[in-house]
Amino acid sequence: MSVSVNSSQSPTNFNPVGKSVPRIDGRGIVTGQTKYVFDVSFPNMLIGKMIRSSHPHARILKIDTSKAEALPGVRAIITAKDTYNIKYGSNEYFFPHTVDQMAIESEKVRYIGDEIGAVAAVDEETALAALELIEVEYEPLPSVTDMLEAMKPGAPQIHDAMNNIGVILPVNFGNPERAFKESYYVREDKFYASAAAMAALEPHVCVGQWESFSNKITLWASSQAPFKCREALAKTLKMDLNDIRVIKLAVGGGFGGKLEMLPMDFAACLLSKKAGGLPVKICYNREEEFSFSRRKHAMHYKVKTGVTKDGVITAMTGEVIADGGAYCSYGPTVMAAAIMRIFMVYKLQHFRINGYRIYTNTPISGAMRGFGGVQSGFAIESHMDLIANHLGIDPIEFRLRNITTPNMVTVNKMFLTTNGLKECIERAAVASEWTKKRGNKDYFKAGISKRGIGIGIAADVMGSKMYKSHESAGAIVKVEEDGSVYLFTGAADTGQGSNTALSQIAAHALGVKYERIRCKSGDTEITPFDTGSFASRVTFISGNAALRAGKDAKIQILEIVAQEHKLDINDLDMQGEEVTNKKTNTVLMNFDKALELCYSFNYGKQIIGRGSYNPKTTPIDFRTGEGNVSGSYGFEAQIAEVEVNTETGEVHVLKIWDAHDIGKAINPQSVEAQIEGSLAMGIGYTFTEDLRFKNGRVLNPNFANYRVPRSIGTPEMHSILVETDDPEGPFGAKGMGEASLLPTSAAIANALEDACGVRIKDLPITPAKIIQGLKELKEKG
Amino acid sequence: MKKLTINNKEYLLDLKGHETLLEVLRDKLSLTGTKTACEESECGTCTVEINGKAVLSCITLAADIEGEAVTTIEGLADGDKLHPVQQAYVDYGAVQCGFCIPGMIMSSKALLDKNPSPTQEEIEYALDGNICRCAGYPKIFDAVRKAGEVMKNGGNLEQAVVAAQDKFKSTMAKGITYEDFLKMKQT
Repeated sequence: MSVSVNSSQSPTNFNPVGKSVPRIDGRGIVTGQTKYVFDVSFPNMLIGKMIRSSHPHARILKIDTSKAEALPGVRAIITAKDTYNIKYGSNEYFFPHTVDQMAIESEKVRYIGDEIGAVAAVDEETALAALELIEVEYEPLPSVTDMLEAMKPGAPQIHDAMNNIGVILPVNFGNPERAFKESYYVREDKFYASAAAMAALEPHVCVGQWESFSNKITLWASSQAPFKCREALAKTLKMDLNDIRVIKLAVGGGFGGKLEMLPMDFAACLLSKKAGGLPVKICYNREEEFSFSRRKHAMHYKVKTGVTKDGVITAMTGEVIADGGAYCSYGPTVMAAAIMRIFMVYKLQHFRINGYRIYTNTPISGAMRGFGGVQSGFAIESHMDLIANHLGIDPIEFRLRNITTPNMVTVNKMFLTTNGLKECIERAAVASEWTKKRGNKDYFKAGISKRGIGIGIAADVMGSKMYKSHESAGAIVKVEEDGSVYLFTGAADTGQGSNTALSQIAAHALGVKYERIRCKSGDTEITPFDTGSFASRVTFISGNAALRAGKDAKIQILEIVAQEHKLDINDLDMQGEEVTNKKTNTVLMNFDKALELCYSFNYGKQIIGRGSYNPKTTPIDFRTGEGNVSGSYGFEAQIAEVEVNTETGEVHVLKIWDAHDIGKAINPQSVEAQIEGSLAMGIGYTFTEDLRFKNGRVLNPNFANYRVPRSIGTPEMHSILVETDDPEGPFGAKGMGEASLLPTSAAIANALEDACGVRIKDLPITPAKIIQGLKELKEKG
Repeated sequence: MKKLTINNKEYLLDLKGHETLLEVLRDKLSLTGTKTACEESECGTCTVEINGKAVLSCITLAADIEGEAVTTIEGLADGDKLHPVQQAYVDYGAVQCGFCIPGMIMSSKALLDKNPSPTQEEIEYALDGNICRCAGYPKIFDAVRKAGEVMKNGGNLEQAVVAAQDKFKSTMAKGITYEDFLKMKQT
């Protein structure tokens, strides 16, 4: 159990980087005062509801809204005829052909729930009654809801894409066939990773207002990427970016589901216009959340690997087929993550994996924490254990022979600089007493309950260019006369604590205590641009911007001090709220005095520090998979110890050790919290989280039937922070938040095999599958 | 009209029979600290305290609780001073997105009021109805344990003083000295 305590009781945090300072929004949250968009209400606010398709695949012949319009209390109804019918997408820059969704579909619906309009009424009851009165005439089309069926010739065509393949991603290096021939052992395995729901507790919610007199829009959105949302609104509404303001308040979790503009955001704005400028709130209920928001791609993952007798990987090939649902969303990047992460983990020269993302008549698959890395993590890391077991090499030893190293260039031209993967593996192994437990026939193997231990490793990017040619972040540090310091960042804190970490970075760079910082984030009108919270990029990229803004403000203060005291600015520094002369090693004045000087009669100098950062990366060639996607890379190793009841098939995860190369922990407590949250999500995905469909309809759209982890049975979690001091990261920090989720399922599956010999290759792991596996083992003898 | 007592304040409200306490708190009284993530008694996010018990406000009819003492997350802090449970949640990093936290804190408080030294198992059972999607629970468990210690050791100062005075009075009758009282206070 982790025991780090933050220091909110200690009076001040002068050099806050590296300290577990309390969350900047902590007191607001625990008192219920923090405002989420969920809590926003305005006088005369209307309630909006989406009009959704009841067919998985159909042509829209006619929509008659007249009866609904006549219902007292209904204020506005929109359908496609009120829109420009402009398509938008999420990977517009690299994959323009995947821009395939309209905010309001005009001709065809492609899944049960597809948005074909929206209503706004004085209250929810009236809005729901209005939905009942809307008459839609469809021409049903044959539908296909299974990804493998959808790829077959003659399957119903969902978009204009051959065999319903929306995205094809070939990643190809060297000559794997030749390498296989020269290999000592070649093995192929097939895995299946199921669909999962984000299940953020705050549902998707927005309030849109179109000020008709000025023709400006304000959207309060529960968003991970307010600037991306603004771009999509501007495109689909044919407006200028500066006429749209997207304001993010506190966000009750995102996990990828709140990365994109959804039709509801568009609808709230347009309904408001039609209703004469009254604000319109649209909020999903839990059933809508499970049924109509984004989900994790289900994937069939086939992988084949050749090794030498000593267990060195010679080549790898494979095929990834992913269920994309009705539209593309972040599909291309999900496919890239599902394939190209392998290069960050293992040294590979001969490689070919082709990825196919398939359209089906089911709700839209999108980016969920880790993009495709969770699914590939399960497949690859399970596969590695199977190879190691065959060769009789300890799985840790096998990995150590094949992992990437510091300062290496991968075959697809990723530049791995700092790389703590080896240290992560070794420290996790020591902490978990791996050598004592692994493969030990005496270690809790005698009775019905058997214990086992397994490992999984992973790597992660710190950002990725997805919808623009750049992925820069900006920050402003404003120091006021009274000593208050404002940090303006475009980054969207969705609960992970980025406002806290960025404030720590800015305070440290400026040289003041953390308590001075007020953080304003994610408002497109007042904060600098930021691409959003995804791909573990915020600490690394937005953090670098905050660092630069803090330093810039400091230099402005020191310039005044230098001028006043006729000193060389290069001799001055400010740290811990003291301006010092480095040459004489004396304290000249404190921060307050320095500010007094800046804002004095003679100077009147406003201190406004600026920071902008765009990581040095190279464009990715998506025909081959070549390119340095990230400014640095994070690494991690995870070891799970499980106990399986061989009579009931029940599995308990007893302990998990997670060693994570995070460069430098800006806030160790927040890092641990991110790791623990990832582990819980990973355990949920491994055992119970399985979004099930029948004929395109979600079968378990509620928390009763979609089981996320609850407190009972939470294993002991041990976080091991490996600090590699990244030269490019702010104060040496890397991003984190996704990597810890990637190897969890495999670590558990590997531990399960160690415990009882059963290998599960399709998620989720259920008691029934284990009992079946045990039975088969027995029959085999 | 019905009279509801919420956070020691009385409200005279015109309630419809089907209105839930959750709806009344959030929509009528703007006490939006209480959240909901499902409205069907699965997530625990709407937990409030009624007469010292953790209760789901989404399935509690407002008209049914006239005369009972309702405490919401807004009613815990004493002015600027956080309740020990709230303070522990901040100090032990149990807060991430925060959406589950009001309900989680109410469940934690209801547990600790009865049992300030819960075992790990007791904590897990008390909080099992409250889903947290971000934090994965360990830091929440830490916070609950720590808050319990603070509450046991008189973190809730007024209550502790009253309890000590009562004990002093009752023991004085048995002829205990003031020095003994001071010793007792230390323990």
